[in-house]
This record gives sequence, C-alpha cells and structure tokens, in this order.
Amino acid sequence: MNFPVRHGARPTVVEDLFRREFAHLVAALVRLLGPSNLPLAEDVVQEALLSAMHAWQFEPPRDPKAWILQTARNRAIDVLRRERRLTALPEDDGSALEGAIASALSPEEEAASQLAMMFSICDDALSQETQVTLILRLLCGLSPAEIARAYLADTQTIDRRLHRGRTRLQELGHLQDVTAPAELLARQPSVLNALYLLFNEGYHGSDSQNPLRPAMCADAIRLAELVLESSRTSHAEAHALAALFCFDAARLPTRLDEDGVFVPLADQDRTRWDRSLIERGVVHLAQSATGTQASRWHLEAGIACEHTIAPSVRETDWQRIVDLYDALLALQPGPIVALNRALALTELRGPDAGREAIATVASDARLGGYSFYWAAAADLERRAGNVAKARSLFERAMSLAKSNAERLAYEKKLRLLAN
Amino acid sequence: MAKFMYIFRGGAFVAPGLSPTEMQEHLAKWYQWVDTFAKAGRNNLGHPLENKGRSLRGRDRVTDGPYAESKDLVTGSLVLEAASLDEATELARDCPIFEFGGSVEVRPVLENE
Repeated sequence: MNFPVRHGARPTVVEDLFRREFAHLVAALVRLLGPSNLPLAEDVVQEALLSAMHAWQFEPPRDPKAWILQTARNRAIDVLRRERRLTALPEDDGSALEGAIASALSPEEEAASQLAMMFSICDDALSQETQVTLILRLLCGLSPAEIARAYLADTQTIDRRLHRGRTRLQELGHLQDVTAPAELLARQPSVLNALYLLFNEGYHGSDSQNPLRPAMCADAIRLAELVLESSRTSHAEAHALAALFCFDAARLPTRLDEDGVFVPLADQDRTRWDRSLIERGVVHLAQSATGTQASRWHLEAGIACEHTIAPSVRETDWQRIVDLYDALLALQPGPIVALNRALALTELRGPDAGREAIATVASDARLGGYSFYWAAAADLERRAGNVAKARSLFERAMSLAKSNAERLAYEKKLRLLAN
Repeated sequence: MAKFMYIFRGGAFVAPGLSPTEMQEHLAKWYQWVDTFAKAGRNNLGHPLENKGRSLRGRDRVTDGPYAESKDLVTGSLVLEAASLDEATELARDCPIFEFGGSVEVRPVLENE
C-alpha cells in the first residue's frame, strides 16, 4: 500500500468505524469458530485494528472498512493454519478454511452475525447487568476499562461479569441460530430489555460528571434497528422500542445547557431537537401498530411521541399522555409510573389534582431515595405558592441527586424561588 | 526551504491493549498533525513501517528482525520542508506519538544541489 501526496480531501474514516468493525468481526468469527474461540477472535480483530491504525497513520485507504476486513481475514487464516487443533474446521483442505472465513466475514452475514451474538448474550442464565456488559464489550466494542468508567465500577467487577458471560457462551457451544423462530421469540424480551438498559445508561447514566453518553444511545438505536432488519426478529415490540429511543434521543441536544445543567422540558429549545430522529421515531411507531396488544414499549413510545411532537408544554396533548400512563400503570404498576402520571395530571388539571395524585404514592418507600420524586413534589408546592415547603423539598432532592447536572438544576430552582 | 526527515520510534503502534475507540481517536490526532503540514505546503510525505522485517549485516548475514525493544523500534518516517532544524523541531513538538511513549528524531536531509 503506498501513500501518495494528496492535495484533495482524504478518504474519511467513519465515526466509530473501529468500534463497529470490532463488533462485526468478532461476532462473525465467533459464529464460525464457536464461543470457545472468543479470545482468539478478539485477538485477531484487535491486531487487525492495530495494523489499520499504523498503516493509516498518515492517510486512510480509499475503503477503510474493506481494508480492515481483508486484514482480519488474512490474520484469521494465518492463526487458524497455525492452530488447527483449536477448531473443528476441515483439516485436509486449505481452501475450505479460507472459504469458510471469507463467507463468515462477507457483507451478507454482517447483520446476521451480530444478531446471533445479541440473542446469545441475552440468555436467561445471565443477569441483566452481565448481559448489558457483554453487549457493551462485544457489540459496541468498548474495552473493560471503558465499560467500568461508564458504570463507575472497577475494572475487576467488569472483568468478572465478562468472564461469567464468556463461560455461559461456551456452555451454549455455538451462537444462537438466527433461523430458529421459536428460540428467537423466547429470547426477544431479554434482548429488548437489555437494549433499553443500554439506552438508559446513555440517557441518564451512572457517571455523575458525564451523565449523557450519546454514543451509547446511538448504539442502542443501531442494535434495535439491527433486530428490525431481519424478518425473523422484526416484531411490533421492537419497532415500539426503536420509536421510544428515537424520540428520546431527538431531545438529547437540549438536555444540558452550556454549563452542564439539566434543562427542564418546559425550558428546552424545541427547534434544536433532531427532526430526522423524530421522523424515524414516527415511522417506527406507525410500524409498531400491529397486533392487538400494546406492550410497555408501545405505551412508553406513545408518551415520548406526544412530548416530542408538541410545539410547547402548553400545547401538549396531556389528556392522551394521562391515558397512556393509566394503561402503563395497569400493565406495570409501580411508584415511578404513578409519579409521572401525577405530573401529567398536574399539566392537565392543575397543581391541586397533581398534589392529590402524588399523595397516593408519597408513602411508597421506593421513592424515598429517588431525587426526581422530591423535585417533582417541590415543584408542585412552588406552583401552589408554598415557597418554604418547596425550598425544603428541593434541598432534599439536591442531597439525593445522581449527577452534577441534576444537582445544579435544583440549585437553579432554589435560586429562582428566592427571587 | 530545506528538507527534514522525522524518524518515528515506538508509540501507539507497538502499545498493547488500546481500545478500538482509543485507536480511532489517536489516528484522528495524526491527521490533525499532518494536516497542518499539508495546509502550509510543506510537501510532506510519510511512510508507516511494518514492525517486522529483515536485517542484513553483510551479503550472507541476513537475520529476521528488527527485534529492537518496542520503544526503540522504528515505526515510520516522514519527510517535510522547513526553514531550519529549529523550525522542524518546533513542528515535531505536537506529534501525537508522545501520547504512547514514542519518540521523534529530526534529521536534516543532505542535498547535493
């Protein structure tokens, strides 16, 4: 490969290309060689990416993705020739090995490999946090140290989860067959749940210094749309989940102000919301409207849709939002849903109705440590004119806030109360 | 304008355990750095070198290698134009190779004209 002096534009390296190709190639190799060869696959891909970084040091190739693919393929063939005993691939014939690797890495298998990996990871024997950790490592290409930073956990904790996950994948013997409808259907709820957790980690994550991680939200959308790409896994509920992600992600640009303070919905500049994501959300929501049952994802997507398409808080269809919360509460009773319903009711009928509704959940112990509950209660008191009460409730919320962005938002509310 | 050669040793290309994101971010820093040369019309031309190769110490003394310690391994070179050794040195200060413990040697290219 040579590097001519070029005066025009250099070929672009797509954002996240390295991460995405790590996910693609590891999944493809593991699907071919079996989960017991996961470490080998990770090494092969790591080395291919390292040579890409080196060879592209002064300028990338015309087709960066193809370059990485070719390098990984050659590297995999070398390693497997040397370590035949590791795999059950044909012993006799060199070209059979090359053919098997080439077809595993072919573009036609790109989505299927990652789906197989995703549905294997979302195994009932693994905890939800182990599933999400494995997704972050194997389908988002994050290193254990990067996952640990996102979760404010130590690297050993993440390594332990990854170890548990790898052991389980080995027990399964091979990745999930993506042509087996019954098994795919059985694993679908776990897959959607794991993607929801992944998205939420990006939307209000555990890292108090850096509560928004748009890349994680984008990964969750990419993986949800991967589920939707295949006719065997595409499903009304997956469309509803993708719609929810799109509506929420569309509002990411206005969630924090320049000082890193969370901005309440009412004060967000709606012209800065991402129109193309909103449109994608609307399309997914329309496609989710099949079947007779509205799932949790349908209702949450419906609520997010109403918030996102309304021109202002005042012009929001609060009646519809309250109805959707009623349905959600029937499906998934819980204090946080009830709290959110009370807030919607406040917009619909005024602070007195809201205070009445919130009083019914006030005694729930699960809300005691939930800062948003205290902030919501404080805001209701503020609207009812009870400044002293509002102040003490905001102070409570501040003491429980998960991130600086949140703490500063309550501080601002307190300052406004003083005026 | 005189020509200078940067000889790169070590750096991220011989560092183990970089994550895909770290690799891509590091790469972007190289592009940022060489872009400043292209914009200034320094006729820069870089060559990354594979870590393996052969060494000859006489017609019949051929060995595999280099097996230098990774920090000493030559990982690439770049030729560019600068007014003086001082300026070429100044430009090298922003090289991303230092991020992962690499080094740059700056050598004037001898001209015969």
